[in-house]
Amino acid sequence: MNGRSDPLDPVTLEILFNALRSVTDETFVALMRSAYSTNIKERRDHSTAICDPEGRLVVQADSSLPIHLASMVGMMDALRVKFPLDSIAEGDLFVANDPHVAGGTHLPDINMAMPVFVNGRLVAFVCNIAHHADVGGMAPGSMAGGMSEIYQEGLRIPVVRLIRAGELQQDIFDLLLLNVRLPEERQGDYYAQISSCRLGARRLDEIAERYSADVLSSAFAEIIRRTERRMRDAIADVPDGVYTFEDVMDDDGLGAVDIPIKLRVDVSGDRVRFDFTGTAPQVRGNVNVTLNATQASVCYSLKALLDPDVPNNQGVLNVCEITTEPGTLLDCEAPSPVAARANTCQRIVDVVIGALKDALPNAAVGAANGANTTAVFSGRDPESGRDYLYLETLGGGFGGRDDRDGKDGVQVHITNTSNLPVEAIEMEYPLRVVSYSLVPDSGGAGEYRGGLGLRRVVTPVGHECVFNGAGERFRNPPWGVFGGGDGAMGRFAHIHADGAERGLEIKPSGIVVRPGEQVVVETPGAGGYGQPDNRAKAALRADRRSGKFSDAYMAEHYGEATSEKD
Amino acid sequence: MAWFIGVDVGGTFTDLYAFDQVSGAEYAYKTPSTPDDPSRAILSGLDALCDEEGIAPGDIGRLGHGTTVATNALIQRRGATVALVTTDGFRDLLEIGRQTRPKMYDLKADYPPPLVPRERRFEVVERVGPRGEVLTALSDAAVQSVVRAVAAANVEGCAVCFLFAFLNPAHERRVGDALRAALPDIHISLSSDVQPEFREYERFSTTVQNAYLQPVVTRYMTNLRNGLTTRAPQAAIGINQSSGGLMSVERAGDYPIRTALSGPAAGAVGAVHIGRLAGRPNVITLDMGGTSADVCLIRDYQTDISNEQEVAGFPVRLPMVDINTVGAGGGSIAWFDRDGLLKVGPESAGAVPGPACYGAGGDRPTVSDANLLLGRLSPKGLLGGTMALDRAAAAAAVQPVADRLRFTVEKAAHGILGIVVANMVRAIRAISVERGHDPRDFSLMPMGGAGALHAPDVARSLDMREIVVPPSPGILCAQGLVVSDLKEDFVVSGRYPVQDDVLDDVARSIGDLVADARRWAETSARDAVRQSLELSFDMRYVGQNFELRVSAGAADGLEAGPAAPDADALRRLFFEVHDRNYGFYNPDDPVEIVNIRLTARGVLPKPQPAAAESRSVDGPGAVAARPVWFAADAAVDSQVFDRTALQPGQTIPGPAVIDQLDATVLVFPGDTARVDEQRNLIMELAL
Repeated sequence: MNGRSDPLDPVTLEILFNALRSVTDETFVALMRSAYSTNIKERRDHSTAICDPEGRLVVQADSSLPIHLASMVGMMDALRVKFPLDSIAEGDLFVANDPHVAGGTHLPDINMAMPVFVNGRLVAFVCNIAHHADVGGMAPGSMAGGMSEIYQEGLRIPVVRLIRAGELQQDIFDLLLLNVRLPEERQGDYYAQISSCRLGARRLDEIAERYSADVLSSAFAEIIRRTERRMRDAIADVPDGVYTFEDVMDDDGLGAVDIPIKLRVDVSGDRVRFDFTGTAPQVRGNVNVTLNATQASVCYSLKALLDPDVPNNQGVLNVCEITTEPGTLLDCEAPSPVAARANTCQRIVDVVIGALKDALPNAAVGAANGANTTAVFSGRDPESGRDYLYLETLGGGFGGRDDRDGKDGVQVHITNTSNLPVEAIEMEYPLRVVSYSLVPDSGGAGEYRGGLGLRRVVTPVGHECVFNGAGERFRNPPWGVFGGGDGAMGRFAHIHADGAERGLEIKPSGIVVRPGEQVVVETPGAGGYGQPDNRAKAALRADRRSGKFSDAYMAEHYGEATSEKD
Repeated sequence: MAWFIGVDVGGTFTDLYAFDQVSGAEYAYKTPSTPDDPSRAILSGLDALCDEEGIAPGDIGRLGHGTTVATNALIQRRGATVALVTTDGFRDLLEIGRQTRPKMYDLKADYPPPLVPRERRFEVVERVGPRGEVLTALSDAAVQSVVRAVAAANVEGCAVCFLFAFLNPAHERRVGDALRAALPDIHISLSSDVQPEFREYERFSTTVQNAYLQPVVTRYMTNLRNGLTTRAPQAAIGINQSSGGLMSVERAGDYPIRTALSGPAAGAVGAVHIGRLAGRPNVITLDMGGTSADVCLIRDYQTDISNEQEVAGFPVRLPMVDINTVGAGGGSIAWFDRDGLLKVGPESAGAVPGPACYGAGGDRPTVSDANLLLGRLSPKGLLGGTMALDRAAAAAAVQPVADRLRFTVEKAAHGILGIVVANMVRAIRAISVERGHDPRDFSLMPMGGAGALHAPDVARSLDMREIVVPPSPGILCAQGLVVSDLKEDFVVSGRYPVQDDVLDDVARSIGDLVADARRWAETSARDAVRQSLELSFDMRYVGQNFELRVSAGAADGLEAGPAAPDADALRRLFFEVHDRNYGFYNPDDPVEIVNIRLTARGVLPKPQPAAAESRSVDGPGAVAARPVWFAADAAVDSQVFDRTALQPGQTIPGPAVIDQLDATVLVFPGDTARVDEQRNLIMELAL
């Protein structure tokens, strides 16, 4: 080396990479703060990224969601098919949401991409994706079950140019907004996404000015190459072999039950192939998954098992070779409904971990609550006279791990959204939260036990409300690994004024709840890790002392261990 | 009562700074910290300082103290055994938190377990509703039964946290009174006292941490006060709060959680003070020590305050100086990640063994080693320092990095610095551009031992034009404690739509807060020369879940308090802040207030160092010269100056190095440094 620096040495690249991460972080925060939807502001159900002109993902914001990884690339693929690069101009901005033709995963996720030009040359796209509170369709919130076609779930947007050379296409915008509830608020969400794109483009421009467009382009390729290499090195450490696993989804809410997901993983050298052949055909209900959401779930699992700190980009996607049969649950075709795909994505993660547990015993965990348990309360506020809709997704148990218990009452795997504070719920909606607690005895036994599920009891105040729910692992419990026991299943129940409790369906809809009545939401626990006989005495004492497990449970699962004196 | 003393306790050193109000004399003293009981180093340091400088302890009028006792107890989980009393049905709330994981992809990362295990969390049948109405009354039998349960739990402290207690604290107070009566030896924290704001998990968590710290901090405060009273009976002791302002020793014992960021907040106060003396209202600080760098934004001589910070993995919802910390310090270690990219930190060589160049057994490449190899740090160590630095050891540590990169050792060292600078730049971007502030409108103020070494690179990366180096960057925290005011924050939480008829309620609440502030001033701020009140609101669009802090006026004295603006004016103020933060606002959407905040300030007399005259432009010349690698490819022969000898008005063109006792300042080729009347170095960067 003669002192002249190669522009892509590991130092320059790290500094440039750092600057790019700053861009996605800044646009992430800007979008979160300026949006209207609670999903974006409070639950952070949004992501921001930079793609190269080929549509390959280069950098994603740190807080981005796993399931958005593939949607962005999916949209870019659809965009590039529809719009040749020479038809894309500076100041354009594209929008899309459709899972079947535009690379989305469900309709409420609105995708945007904006080309960035440096000296007239297209160098990148800045992208974001945000879960809007409503995209039209049959039911408020555009997430309800009970529908059998995507047309019922909301407005389908193919990749369209919302802004043409800086000029907002008002006719298209009017069309988008007319088809959603509360269009003023959604307009605010769209503006938030647009300004986040513009901010990203401005920042990228500043970086290009500092480093030149050429350096930027080769840095993109180098980042992806290094990430792929890093993943492949990690795969090479996994023992070669064929690993299989199978699990089922409870139901689709429209009659199909115990829907199988089958996986065969083939590890060979630095390659890993995921073959889902044998998985059930797509179903009528909304738990279908498009191929890119399947891909996102597999990528999440592999990254979590092998290298949680690996940067999220095309390099991770490149190593996940996936085989599916079109028209199945994990590679569904139009016009299948997909709103609740997150539940199925959670199950894909469990299945991947289940398959690889023997190859990676120290990274594997017991099955988690495997769901995205959803509770929706709606009605008319008796004081204001206005309609309200309160949606919450609840966490549950996290699986036991090779060196510690599974966490109790937490969002798992592909979701990590906050709960709404009890005080915020009661100040905003005519609802009362009667209790919010962990479910005793719900964690699977084991050397390291599974986490406990959550229980929330809600009652309407001064009016009749309607409850809709969507559960999973309500009839197929989360399994343990290496001898660990199953966690408890979840359930919904309706408590009547006389105190009588009636169980509800797994995906109940339109349940009328009167004042004095209560709805019980109980989420699943999680599976344990390792033989219960090996559980440490101190841990057994803590289980009993904390009241998280009953004496009867301890006697049943740990036998004589419970007779140990404290 | 001539002397003001500031004492800042850090992880390695305890810094004392003394200022004589009469003569303007100032002295600094450094002594190793005594982590097992920090008051030992304070008292022995004070004795030594008084001895050496001939200060009569009886002449000490005030002592301001920045403490890390609370922070360390939280980080090391060495607080008290605590119980929690909470509303029936919500015992697990403290453990569930926000039901999230700290790291999305890490199957093993959890938030820390709660400070109160489940078996010490007791439920009481009672319930207050969202308007403060009692839905379920609290019975005497329930109170007695929970008092028995707490007594049997054998605890040192107890937190009482009920739903909606911020609207109606009656139930919490009854339980608190009963506990105090029955168990006079245990410390009680009520959520309605510690943090009367909505969002129960954060309030409960903050209150539990307070209870967890009370016994520890009270013990410490008592030791410290006893030791000081015997030495300096006239000294009024002020404990620095995380929001940057002093409170009494008693209040610190009652509300120790307010000291969670006591030390770093003192640095921010010191920076404001220097900013005032230098006439720089907008400053971004860069406090770089051995393991980490703290950055903080100051606008119009005010530090940004945030209510949404975490300490040791737990949320603390109290006003704290908005400091962003990144693992970038002199001891930060360079390493290669699995994808071959070079990273620096957060792992640090710490004080032991320290960087390789300390010659104390460290063999991994650190930021200090890189600085030494590039001639940026003097091989003699800090000016007047006793520890020479080992260049050969530094080279040996950095060589493997150079080999792997196929770089020269200097170029590798330059790369290490480039990366640590990028990490700090990212931290600054997070507190500036991500909040709507343009760093180009600010001066960069380096502090700590290593800040000034990296400030030029950091500033250039952010297009900042000016760097202000305080006279003693290493003791700015201790100096800040001498210029701190007394301060107390008051809050009322609720939901107030911004419309004229509701603003009457707001005005009433402000009146109540002003009355609280008067009571505080009578008991706790008698030394103040004058008082002032600052009013602000946390506001949002109806339906939003993020609030923005909107300043709504200030008033001198404690009589009336600032008048609440009318609805139109209030909306306009909100729009302005919304626009600054998010780049837009919607003039037609309804707006609401969720918190009314009043900050009472008791202004204490401040040291006013006499401004020196700008005598000459030619001060003393260079004391030495050494080659410095400003760029990676070649060294430039640079003059070395002794900072203590520099004269106000003197200008030093780069390339140059200015060595001082507690820091090294780099002047890059093309940049110039000028000494101002207050002996700050004002560095202008060439574009």
